[in-house]
Amino acid sequence: MDSKVVLEQLKGMLTVDQINTDQDDLYDAAADRYKKYAKARKVLNVPSPIAIVYPKDTQEVSMLLSYCNEHGINVIPRGGKTATEGGLENWKELTIVIDALHLDSICKIDTYNSQATVQAGVPLQVLEDELRKVGYTTGHSPQSKPVAKYGGLVATRSIGQFSTLYGGIEDMVVGLECVFPDGQISRIKNVSRRAGGPDIRHIAIGNEGALCYITEVTVKIFRYFPENNKFLGYLVKDVETGIKVLREVIVNGFRPSVARTYSPEDAAQHFYHFYENSCVLLFMAEGPKGIVSATVNAIEEAVETYKDGIIKQVDSQLIEDWFNHLNWSQQDIDDEMLGMIDNDSHAGYTTEISADWETIPKIYDAVMERVRNEFERAEDLTMLGGHSSHSYLNGTNMYFVYNYKILCEPEDELIIYHHPIQRIIVEETLKAGGSMCHHHGIGKYRSEWTREEHGSAYYMLEKLKQAFDPNGIMNYGTIFPQEEGMKYIQ
Amino acid sequence: MKIICVVKFVPDVDNFTYDHEKHIIIRENSRMMVNPDDACAIGFALKMKQRSPDTSIEVVTMAPESVLPLVEDILRVGVDTATIISDRLYAGSDTYATSRVLSRYLSGATYDTILTGSHAIDGDTSHVPSQIACLLDLNHMSYISRIDESSFSSSLARFEVESEQAVSSYEIQMPAILGLTRASGYRLPYVRYKNLNMDVSDRVTVIHNDVLCFDESEVGLTGSRTKVVGTHVKTYKNRSHHVVTTDQEGIDTVYRFLKDKQFI
Repeated sequence: MDSKVVLEQLKGMLTVDQINTDQDDLYDAAADRYKKYAKARKVLNVPSPIAIVYPKDTQEVSMLLSYCNEHGINVIPRGGKTATEGGLENWKELTIVIDALHLDSICKIDTYNSQATVQAGVPLQVLEDELRKVGYTTGHSPQSKPVAKYGGLVATRSIGQFSTLYGGIEDMVVGLECVFPDGQISRIKNVSRRAGGPDIRHIAIGNEGALCYITEVTVKIFRYFPENNKFLGYLVKDVETGIKVLREVIVNGFRPSVARTYSPEDAAQHFYHFYENSCVLLFMAEGPKGIVSATVNAIEEAVETYKDGIIKQVDSQLIEDWFNHLNWSQQDIDDEMLGMIDNDSHAGYTTEISADWETIPKIYDAVMERVRNEFERAEDLTMLGGHSSHSYLNGTNMYFVYNYKILCEPEDELIIYHHPIQRIIVEETLKAGGSMCHHHGIGKYRSEWTREEHGSAYYMLEKLKQAFDPNGIMNYGTIFPQEEGMKYIQ
Repeated sequence: MKIICVVKFVPDVDNFTYDHEKHIIIRENSRMMVNPDDACAIGFALKMKQRSPDTSIEVVTMAPESVLPLVEDILRVGVDTATIISDRLYAGSDTYATSRVLSRYLSGATYDTILTGSHAIDGDTSHVPSQIACLLDLNHMSYISRIDESSFSSSLARFEVESEQAVSSYEIQMPAILGLTRASGYRLPYVRYKNLNMDVSDRVTVIHNDVLCFDESEVGLTGSRTKVVGTHVKTYKNRSHHVVTTDQEGIDTVYRFLKDKQFI
């Protein structure tokens, strides 16, 4: 179908101000932060969508999806634009982006039942600010908090910095509304728990826009006790010791909201003024006084248990100061983009994986070893390290972080630097039985390993795609591997 | 049009070794790079080739053969041919001996113009281009910050030379030696990923002294008239480390520091 015809027909469905065909905006919509450097240098190798549309309600989303489904038009659902794995990147000539800009209402804040309902385009920060006024919090604080919107957070199975206490977004979503390609609007009701068959919330949560468009979510909200917050920080000898302390705290049943271990290389980025070339272990305990007090005691006991690996305790104020400057604002994102236009550098890349307690240190060591010895441009690395920042009863995550001197053309940066490192991380993780994608989603650039990630359970994932998106119009190339997309990957 | 770019490979400033007894830079074990000004010369030549695809570019360098991978990378970005002049006899040559070696090769080569840099980051004498011009009896100008691309031809070049006092415009008759500076902004591109393993070996020629036929007394350390009287190792002081916080006191401290150092 011709793009001009599509644009004409869109005009019949929406008002003129709901259809954006500005060339700069379309270029911006062609890729997300995964290709940030190439994007900043104006050398993107993917097509721009033909339009960005802004539906005003669920019915309009339904109408748009039905139309696209009927005419085989690729659809990219979009929220706050903070995707990092290519989930918002476009691989089709005929694509429209459905942006949640006008789905921006906070429908209800229900403190008695500890839940709030918002439309997909409500920024997390906006809900958080409203909740703080009534002594509550979302409990969700990804680094993108000031920018990210609820539709995207739920669609990518986002996680926040306080996940050890509050959980990931999947632990917070009570119910939701979503629209499927055939126009079907489904509402999953808000109940405290039920045994009504499989938990169908999880068809929408984490679908990355590849199955449906999330229009509304209801999330748990939590009483907020900032006056009780306590911070603890330690220098430790190695990553493994730090992880052992994290494990000790968690398996004893305690839930500090922040519990992290940084490698020295990563610590240098955040704690350069006190890390002394060591690993940094840190905690934040929050909640009612009694819980905070018990959590602090448990942390101190765990540290005592592993005291041979502890170098020293650091001033709590240093950890609190760090905590208060964690998030990225839109200004930070814009500044990085501007910096990439003028300089051959960016703020680096990350690959986040998870595994059980026993396996994480092994993966970490194996990755470090392979990157240093196998990566052809290892001498260009300016930073290679990682941190564990989200812990669970049976394991934790590892957030590999790396940066490098960019000694290549912007078009080749990912394939020369990021991809080979990411490949090593993914290979080592899958080999060890971990998950290659802890919280950024699969996006497009880890889709080549989706089958391996899920093994025999990929059957279930594939059936979902066939059932809900038989024409393959939802976010082509995301999650589900596509042969045609390999030209952008390799 | 045939352009010859005379370039020098210099040690990466982060990593080079100096022989304090012989007073020479040990190039074999250093990570090398194209001298930045010389890279601009290649960058400009490639731009001209883009405008006129029949333009032919040859890169000429006097260097150890270990620079071959770097020379091959230059060929992979669009330079047509490369000549490495290399012989153990030439090791330790000063600028005059180097200029004689390069000039002898160039005197037998065909070209419409010779492009090079103005400064080398490892020596900074700027002697070589002038000496080659003298030996070949060619016009020469250094510190070129811009060349008029539209009028650049085998008979004429118009360009600007930037100094602290002024920007002057010149016109020069070709053939000539034009020395660019980094201020020109011409950029040597990186090798594209798809070309990283392109075989360019048939476009590189390595020339030894059996071709140029210098006597041992004319080149290398013995043939060099420049004598280094002495060198000293740069000493580094331990810098004090002062952490400030993002409050008024911290801001004042940083402001005073920048003002003391005359950054503000």
